[in-house]
Amino acid sequence: MIFWVWVFGLIYAGLLVMASLKSYKKGRSAEEFMMAGSNVGLSLGVLTFAAALFSTFTFLGMPDFFRVNGVGAWIFLAVSDGAMVFFLLWFGYQIRMKVKGMEFRGVSGLIGRCYGNKWAGYVFFLAAFLFLIPYVGIQIQGIAIFMEAAFPGSLPSWGWSLGIVLIMLIYAEIGGLKAIIFSDAIQGLLLLVVIWIIGWACLSHFGGIAPMFERVGNIQEELLSTPGPQGLLTPQFLFASLIAILMIPVTQPQFTTRIVVMKSMKTMQLMAVSLGAFAILVILPTIFIGMYGVDMYQEYGRDEFFANAFLYDQPNFVAALAIIGLIAAGLSTTNAQIFALGSELRGLLKGNENSIMTKTKIGIFVFSVIAFFFSIIVIDQLVLLARVSFAGTGIMGPMILLGILSNRKISSAIIYLSFVGLVIFLLSLADIIPDMYFGIRLDLLLFLVLGVIAIISHLTGKEHQLIREDDVKH
Amino acid sequence: MHMKKKYWNMSCVAAVVLSLVTFTPLVIPQGVSKPMLGGIPYSLWTSFIITVALVVLTFIGTRVHPGMEEEEEDKS
Repeated sequence: MIFWVWVFGLIYAGLLVMASLKSYKKGRSAEEFMMAGSNVGLSLGVLTFAAALFSTFTFLGMPDFFRVNGVGAWIFLAVSDGAMVFFLLWFGYQIRMKVKGMEFRGVSGLIGRCYGNKWAGYVFFLAAFLFLIPYVGIQIQGIAIFMEAAFPGSLPSWGWSLGIVLIMLIYAEIGGLKAIIFSDAIQGLLLLVVIWIIGWACLSHFGGIAPMFERVGNIQEELLSTPGPQGLLTPQFLFASLIAILMIPVTQPQFTTRIVVMKSMKTMQLMAVSLGAFAILVILPTIFIGMYGVDMYQEYGRDEFFANAFLYDQPNFVAALAIIGLIAAGLSTTNAQIFALGSELRGLLKGNENSIMTKTKIGIFVFSVIAFFFSIIVIDQLVLLARVSFAGTGIMGPMILLGILSNRKISSAIIYLSFVGLVIFLLSLADIIPDMYFGIRLDLLLFLVLGVIAIISHLTGKEHQLIREDDVKH
Repeated sequence: MHMKKKYWNMSCVAAVVLSLVTFTPLVIPQGVSKPMLGGIPYSLWTSFIITVALVVLTFIGTRVHPGMEEEEEDKS
């Protein structure tokens, strides 16, 4: 296997170097560095959006989620993604019209301008920081666990994590967003190929789809329906997940940025359709891998399942491809997230452009260091942590949508109430307050309450709002 | 333009209805895996069809979205 890891690793590294050299330009502007010149075409757009969306979370997390919770996992991610791409079509149009003719400096900057209140940007940035960093951390950890299984005893887990963070930093520093988008394209294709090779091998183990579900049904029938053996996938959990995933293009800055930097409205719309098809293609084989896990490794822990299903049970070249695919998947997503946090920070800073860029780069470095420490300490299921990340930033959804959609003078109350919502959600995550009220999940309740407040704020708003840089209060 | 807006609104309603139907017993009857289709459990094949339908609706949406015309008008 080592031979094949070297072969595929060198090819991947070569492609990354080529991409960063192609993206590197001496004396490039901050706009080129942070926003890739806002000129991304269809193929790159689809692959970069897909690669930022489907990461370690899909590659490792979804097979494990199917293995533990059964077929309802399809609704959790695939149906939600299907709805999300339709929503993307609508929201993409709205945000692109909003930022037309102005320089887009991240959601924090935009939302601060929309409300004429810098606190809107700060509250959003806080949510993005709090919920993206642990998510980045657990992805780095996922790769480190996998690498430890592939090369036992060669490096401690934190050593692999550190290596990943260093590569990520160097790469982002040299190439900026354009290099990240190129690496996303490589990763998107790699992810699709590798997941299908492994998925197909797992399906062949059963001899077809019908025998696969027959076998799984014989082992544990609850896996063939909702809510699954653990009782997790209830209609309410799935519905709250749908809302959290719908909010991804609005509240996860790495996706909002990608919508804005697409070359044209037409390209953005075609990207939405292609992304939907890509989602189906990527999630489908994770069912086969998960069901294979039920048959072979149902009693095993997460790490043993990953190591066996992706490495030890595969031919050497497939296992090597899985290792490189996973590194690529994790690297591009974490890179996109950390870089997006940098963009958000830039949107909040004022002053000389050179000084802003320096502070932004320092910010990216600091975020990476924090994510590295999280990768060492955080322990959770990949998919559930990702869901918390989507729900946490999703709480900001009503505030952002109101700011972007409303053409009236809106009260700032929604900003402070979103902050209160964020604090309440954090308290429930820390088990200080309950996460269910009147039989309703807290995250769903927060979405609904803030959504209603947003509608009321719009209806009670009076004058037309003019958006100018100078309007932002300092 | 008027017809496009009408079709776009229809697509939006269809997308919302499809999404909501997914969380009813019509698609996810609790603890029920039959009737199967080609050996695929009930909730999986029904939700798979819904996913494909949502992507098809997105494609239709790109053809009837009234914003495309606005952008063309802006360019001219």
